[in-house]
Amino acid sequence: MEEKPLKVRTLPGPPPPGSTQTHPRSSLGSWLSSHSARGSCLGSTASRWYHQKASHDSDGGCEESDAGGEKDNFKPEELDEHALMELETHSGSYPGGTLEDGDDDSRIDFEKSSSVSSLNIPKHTPHRAYWVEQQNRLPLPLTVLMENEALEILTKALRSYRSEIGRDHFLTNQLQRYIEGLKRRRNRRMNVAVL
Amino acid sequence: MKLKEGSFLWYLYLDKLYCLLSVRNVKALVEYFYLLDVHRKKTLNDVLFYHFLHHVTDLKRNQITIVFNMLDWNAVGEIGFDQFYMLVCILLARENHLEEQFIYRHSRPVFELLDLDGELKIGPANFHMYNFLFNMKKQQLRELYRDFDITGDRLLNYKEFKLFTIFSMDKYQERQKAEREGGELCSKKCRIKL
Repeated sequence: MEEKPLKVRTLPGPPPPGSTQTHPRSSLGSWLSSHSARGSCLGSTASRWYHQKASHDSDGGCEESDAGGEKDNFKPEELDEHALMELETHSGSYPGGTLEDGDDDSRIDFEKSSSVSSLNIPKHTPHRAYWVEQQNRLPLPLTVLMENEALEILTKALRSYRSEIGRDHFLTNQLQRYIEGLKRRRNRRMNVAVL
Repeated sequence: MKLKEGSFLWYLYLDKLYCLLSVRNVKALVEYFYLLDVHRKKTLNDVLFYHFLHHVTDLKRNQITIVFNMLDWNAVGEIGFDQFYMLVCILLARENHLEEQFIYRHSRPVFELLDLDGELKIGPANFHMYNFLFNMKKQQLRELYRDFDITGDRLLNYKEFKLFTIFSMDKYQERQKAEREGGELCSKKCRIKL
């Protein structure tokens, strides 16, 4: 098989469907191993996802907070349609977003409203976009694992930032705000889960 | 080199034949990278990279610095997602003892990573520097330069390196076959005894 040169920054092509995996580990591993027959991803495709997600977050953060204000005036049926329209518009993205203060509330509210609205959707209303979004989301245990690990790593990184570039440096402050946002999001998710 | 048990990377795995991640694994990896991309530059700087690798592996500081310098092929002091993906594949190949397979399947990228100074040739020192990643034993290195240094300059160009990867792959498959046959023979003997 011919490999591409490194300057293209991709590893060679995808494996054929039904190729074997090495070591599935427990339930998270089983989720990750499911649908592997869809084929493997090159670095360029993954980069495209990442850039799509990052550009959406940089452009769409205000839209979410604006939409959050408008949502309060909607009736439940209109909210369903509005939530569906938003899901269809932002179908490629994960509702993680940037971890600034204002976005956390609107994001948690959006998650609550979309989960509540799913219960009120009448059977005849098409909700394909909702299920497509569900298929694209990562499972919650995996998200929790990733966020907890990222928090541990970034907390240690914050100590290095403080000792090496000082507490008042804008990068230190940015990292500190990010960590606080991540903790707030985690706590809110835990509260929602308890309810 | 070992991955920390229970860490996120520990749950990922490579396709055994092509040594690549599946679509779902890559999607999860993208989300993970995004979580670590604190400054929203689609990169990890050296501090973030160090703490990430220190947290998920048992590599020492100087080894992490070597890995960072290897991956920072543009010398910008930051690691993008492409390099991060390459690193994860190397770590998983090492963790699952698929080094020969990985080097065989991705011989060109591996050669270019080892060729630090861009001379299109690699010497024993290059291999030795990355021994903790690619697990090349001294005996293997000696054989490599004895049998495949066709030009005789004590350096390997890409073609010589590629021949070596094919040869290693053949030896690896023979070993696997011998282990399988040994296992089957054992089970047959056990059945006969019963």
